Amino acid sequence: MVDPNLLIGLSMLTTGLVLGAIFALTAAGVTIVYGCIWLPNAASGQFFLLAPLVAWSLSTAMGWSPILAVAAVLIAGLPFAYLLERLLIRRFYDVPDRNIAYFVVTLGITQILSGVFSITWGQWSDQYNIPPLAEGVVFIGPFPLPANRLIALVGALALLGALFVGLRYHRFGRALRAVFQNREAAALRGVDVQRIYLGAFLLGTSVIFAGGLLYAMAYSFDLSVAWSMGITAFAIMIVGGPGSVLGALVVGMLFGFVQAAVSVFASPTAATLSYLLAMLVILLLRPSGLFAR
Amino acid sequence: MNEILLDARQVEKQFGGIRALASVDVQQAVGETLGMIGPNGSGKTTFVNVVSGHLSIDAGSISFAGAPISGRRPHAITRAGLTRTYQAVRVFSKLTVADNLRTTALAAGREEGVKDSHVRELIHWLELDRRLDAIAGMLTLFEQRRLELAMRLALRPKLVMLDEPVGGLSAVEITHMMKLLGELKTRYSLFVIEHTMRVIRELADRVVVLVSGQKIADGRPEEILRDERVVRNYLGSQGA
Amino acid sequence: MNRMRASKDMWLWISGAALVIGLALATAGNRFAAFIIGIVFLNVLWTAGMNLLYGYTGLVSMMTAGVAGIGAYGTVKLFLDYGWSFWFAVPVSAVGAAAVGVILGLPALRLRGFYFVLSSLVIQVALTLVFIYFPQFTNGDTGITQIPRPGLWLPGFGAVDLTGPGFEIILGLLALAGVAVVYMIIRSRMGAFIIAIREDDLLAEELGIDVTRYKVMVFFISSLLMAVGGAFYAVYTGFISPRSFDVLMSMNIWLMVAFGGRGTIAGPIIGSAILVPIPFLLQELYQIKDIFYGSLIILVTVAMPAGVYGTILKWWRVRRQKQNTAVAPVAIKRMPAE
Ligand SMILES: Nc1ncnc2c1ncn2[C@@H]1O[C@H](COP(=O)(O)OP(=O)(O)OP(=O)(O)O)[C@@H](O)[C@H]1O
Ligand SMILES: [Mg+2]
Repeated sequence: MVDPNLLIGLSMLTTGLVLGAIFALTAAGVTIVYGCIWLPNAASGQFFLLAPLVAWSLSTAMGWSPILAVAAVLIAGLPFAYLLERLLIRRFYDVPDRNIAYFVVTLGITQILSGVFSITWGQWSDQYNIPPLAEGVVFIGPFPLPANRLIALVGALALLGALFVGLRYHRFGRALRAVFQNREAAALRGVDVQRIYLGAFLLGTSVIFAGGLLYAMAYSFDLSVAWSMGITAFAIMIVGGPGSVLGALVVGMLFGFVQAAVSVFASPTAATLSYLLAMLVILLLRPSGLFAR
Repeated sequence: MNEILLDARQVEKQFGGIRALASVDVQQAVGETLGMIGPNGSGKTTFVNVVSGHLSIDAGSISFAGAPISGRRPHAITRAGLTRTYQAVRVFSKLTVADNLRTTALAAGREEGVKDSHVRELIHWLELDRRLDAIAGMLTLFEQRRLELAMRLALRPKLVMLDEPVGGLSAVEITHMMKLLGELKTRYSLFVIEHTMRVIRELADRVVVLVSGQKIADGRPEEILRDERVVRNYLGSQGA
Repeated sequence: MNRMRASKDMWLWISGAALVIGLALATAGNRFAAFIIGIVFLNVLWTAGMNLLYGYTGLVSMMTAGVAGIGAYGTVKLFLDYGWSFWFAVPVSAVGAAAVGVILGLPALRLRGFYFVLSSLVIQVALTLVFIYFPQFTNGDTGITQIPRPGLWLPGFGAVDLTGPGFEIILGLLALAGVAVVYMIIRSRMGAFIIAIREDDLLAEELGIDVTRYKVMVFFISSLLMAVGGAFYAVYTGFISPRSFDVLMSMNIWLMVAFGGRGTIAGPIIGSAILVPIPFLLQELYQIKDIFYGSLIILVTVAMPAGVYGTILKWWRVRRQKQNTAVAPVAIKRMPAE
């Protein structure tokens, strides 16, 4: 017989790993957009929820296979983000204090989306489940892990890896990092800054959608995920250092394990509260974050 | 020499890897007009910024009118009698000229605002009378520079630090501004950063030269402007 | 000149009071309309506080609802559990709430721009969590119901009945007082300083203005107004819960100021008068309130940053400006003596 404490401990580890990878991915999406465009997306939590809600509708109400539903949402996310950038985001590119304007505008989007959620999906169900892609439990060494969570974990890690490599070596990634570091200098070197902004917004938003979809593949979810994830992603970005993908990765993983541990011993709200406090402490003591360049 | 007004000793300031000020010593006497010249990026504006309290220094000490001022907040330094202008002219650009002056007068403890006799004289002297109702940001650059000056003088400072007061002005306006500064010099201690050598030659009693954050010369303008090292490091390249 | 302005102001306030009392009495027969008027008055008070903070000082604070909540819970606690007189509980808990607000907000006030906004939002969310998870003070998510209206005894009037239009009149006069406080601050030297801080805080500091001190003062005064509003909201509606004072409320108050015209005295009043009644009038569509307000936030930010009243004012100024444009002659005059 296995020691039950050991089992709890192991499942905590795997949960932490899955949550951490998803947190890190989502926060990376938020931090790329902020670092590049200076857009602190307060609606990231709502975006994170929107994607799996649509996928849930496609797979349960319309009977699509979950793989198809997830892929369709990811693809549909691109024109959504594109329209948002054209209609709204780009209007502020020349505003001096645009991060405040953006924050207020995205708070407005948050309010709209949460209103929409509560009169639509909120009426249809309390809990949402995307049908699992795979059944059963896989053992990685001694670690038990449901197969669909393993898929989510692998997906999140793969995307994170791709982000890292892409930002470092791809032409677009390098241009994006140049804009991160110094807008004016990048513009002088002939980088089309507005195109990079558009690309960063599409990339960051898609990454957030992907994070939400991966989360929904691993766990069932409800509407409260939006605000807790919004806070978590922001806290990770601030603590890790706005614009730092490495910071998002390290702090995201850390927060994932914290969440897993706290959820065993206390309520998840305690975890959210601890992120809030961590964010506040960093804001007050070291606003540039732990991993600032 | 007169009593020392500004005394900066071994001032150090680093930005990341850049050593913007490298052990800079600057002394200015009461009543003296001190010029500061040097190539772009040599640390002139940074020097004003650390003196006025907008940036902290990494090492060294700065005292003003006999009291140490390094580490004090900018508003406290202003109240001690040190004021400065900005390389890119800085006024409340969305407020009217009158409101700019009123705010400054109130900050200086003059409850009468623009009706204060000293402020009225400044308005008159700097020919802002007809522009009082205009939005400051809509004025010409020269008018904005005059407004900026009026605001600083309304504070009744002991030392006025001017960061490129004629930068961007036309030849006619430069002549006009130099006349104003010439009159100013008779009553205030001035610290002037300029690239236009004419201003330095005609106004400064003494000149300090900064190159890459280091003071390479300090003396009377007619000597400095002929100094071989200064010419090689700065004036030569500038063709002035 | 000053006396003329003072007497003009006096007439303005007297007609304001007459309007407020008139509105309350006119709707006395219709409890629904009267309630809407009462809530508008409360929002006028709240927006006055937000206007001082955001409109005049340029601080976008998202923790205003939390401060109102502290004022509300504090008052209700003292009033119901400790048996204090409501009229004594309000000032005590308002000062307490404002003090807590300043203590929480003080470190954030040192931050500039977006970081201040974010910190205030974080504090707001934390306060909401505190309201939910400390049920011994707040009764948690269920909220506190059936809060009775206080009685009032006025010398010369005896006991005043506050169940009818009496309470709307009090709310209206309170709102008027809040607006008057902001008006007087703006007319004073403090007003000139905080506008300077809004326009360019570094330049304000350079001119010798103690920026942090004035920010703290503004924060305190606006918190007082928020907290008083919260306390009266509690006894007026008879019900408070953590949801009454969540971040959405902060955003809605911000919206009313921005929509009406930030940094003007009339703007926030217009904003409250237009935006507060709409969700009530939507009736069964009450659900779409959030969608409506959220869309307006975006619309105002994108299309009308000066707000309704600000846009009108601008248009009027441009018209007037065209009539007097003069150019200064160039002639050198004597420099003034020191
Ligand atoms: N706030 C800052 N952060 C980082 N680097 C700075 C900052 N301010 C100045 N520097 C750097 O310090 C150096 C000195 O700059 P400074 O503005 O003092 O030069 P300057 O002599 O005034 O030049 P100019 O004649 O062009 O005005 C430059 O290399 C500049 O890039
Ligand atoms: Mg300079």
